[in-house]
Amino acid sequence: MSNVGTVFRREFAAYFDSPIAYIFIIVFLVLNCGLFMTPFFLQGLADMRDFFGNLPLFLIFFIPAVTMRLWAEDRRGGTFELLMTLPMGASRVMLGKYLAAMAFYLVALLGTLPIPVMLSILGNPDLGAIAGGYLGAILLGGLYMSVGIFTSGLLRDQITAFILGMLACFVLFLVGIPAVSATVDGWIGGLGTFMQNALGLMPHYEALQRGVVQLGDIAYFLSLTGVFLALNTLWLEGRKY
Amino acid sequence: MIEVRDVTKRFGTVVALDGVSFSLDRGGILGFLGPNGAGKSTAMKIITTFLAPDEGTVLIDGTDVMEEPLAVRGRIGYQPENIPLYMDMRVHEYLRFVGQARGLRGEELRRRSGWVVEACGLAPVYKQTINELSKGYKQRTGLAQALIHDPDLLILDEPTSGLDPLQIIGIRELLQSLAREKTIIFSTHILQEVRPVTDRVVIINQGRIVADGMISELEQRAMGSNRVYAAFRGGDPEMAAALAGLPGVAKAEALEAPGGGARFEIRGDFDADLTGAVAGLARQRNWELDELHESRFTLEDTFIALTRQTGRAAEEVGSHV
Repeated sequence: MSNVGTVFRREFAAYFDSPIAYIFIIVFLVLNCGLFMTPFFLQGLADMRDFFGNLPLFLIFFIPAVTMRLWAEDRRGGTFELLMTLPMGASRVMLGKYLAAMAFYLVALLGTLPIPVMLSILGNPDLGAIAGGYLGAILLGGLYMSVGIFTSGLLRDQITAFILGMLACFVLFLVGIPAVSATVDGWIGGLGTFMQNALGLMPHYEALQRGVVQLGDIAYFLSLTGVFLALNTLWLEGRKY
Repeated sequence: MIEVRDVTKRFGTVVALDGVSFSLDRGGILGFLGPNGAGKSTAMKIITTFLAPDEGTVLIDGTDVMEEPLAVRGRIGYQPENIPLYMDMRVHEYLRFVGQARGLRGEELRRRSGWVVEACGLAPVYKQTINELSKGYKQRTGLAQALIHDPDLLILDEPTSGLDPLQIIGIRELLQSLAREKTIIFSTHILQEVRPVTDRVVIINQGRIVADGMISELEQRAMGSNRVYAAFRGGDPEMAAALAGLPGVAKAEALEAPGGGARFEIRGDFDADLTGAVAGLARQRNWELDELHESRFTLEDTFIALTRQTGRAAEEVGSHV
């Protein structure tokens, strides 16, 4: 696994080598905390439900922006040939890149920790729900991230990779919300509900957000993430032919 | 050491390589020559496992690139045509990254890094960001990357492109010193670059190998024939036959004569004194000579003939090599 670590270190450092990383993190924190704090004093509730409620939509923009460069940059710069002729499997290079992007996201998420600290000082928040919320945020980010790295691999251009990644994440988000599933049910009976249960991420995410940690929800996120990572590896191997 | 067997590769309807085969023994340098777009890079990408062939295979010391790509990659140092550099990294960081990704650690990594920096002359820019390097230093950083793990086999795609003459000489000397213990394949589209480095060449054109052998053989073949141009004032119907009958002449072909009269291209043996023979004949028959000069085939002519689009000339010369 040490060569996964080598790729991870290079990719993680690459994020922080440019000012973009800091801009990303600041935008992430300002928007998220800003959206959360605006109604906070009006409601006077010591919980983070709104914060985690905003994330699925917000991350649709943020995560593909983090992942868009992962393969697109290498393919444009010529380093793709170097990576694909290293004596390690393509899946390991991919994993190193994926984990680096995840680590970058975790750093951004870490920046929101003052919120629960503040809540504990001001009132008596349900720490279980907050912990579940963070777990959900990590799993959700991980899923979007796997979609993003997959779309980055398909395209040579970062902006197109970003847009395609955003669209794909948005589809996963949409099929899971009741309004959409009800509409689709209206066209073909049962299809909307089926898609909501099978693919939609919102039912699983909402459970975690309430502090209900069930194996099924975790398995949903992990398996769908695994599917996109496997597709990415397949593409890397299949490109040779 | 390396054996390329009947490799065919298509991209859509374009046939990039068409049944290419050649082999190279350990410790040799092979110049891989051909015009741009001939299929040199594609062949190198297949040898380095970056691409898979549609048909055929490549064996590196008996190891099939398709069956054990990781084992093959570990033994190969590869510098692609588009130098694979991370522009945001410093030279030493980049070399450390490639070294680690190739499994070097600790003391060994330090030792190898030190060696490639010395060998490729990177000491002055060791701490610089790659983005700031000149083209020559970028090229050499790419070479250093290919050498860091001390590979048996070096595949270099146009390693001297964009370098100034002094830098080219530097790379040549490095290749020659490396060839004592390594097998090297390097590609170029410039004939003169091969001669100082190696005698062994494979010439490829439009995805097919048109020549495989020693430059000296190729040169001999090229010099093996000689041609003379002669023009005469006034014509004589017997001229062509008389010229063709001269000793050492293989062929006398009538050309268009711009100012009237007759003009011929006379081909013959390399060591025959064609100009002397033609001049003698003219004196004997009282033909008035207007022009008489010799134009020998050069190695360059051979290369051009070999790589010109499926011309007759290519077949003519190619069949001898």
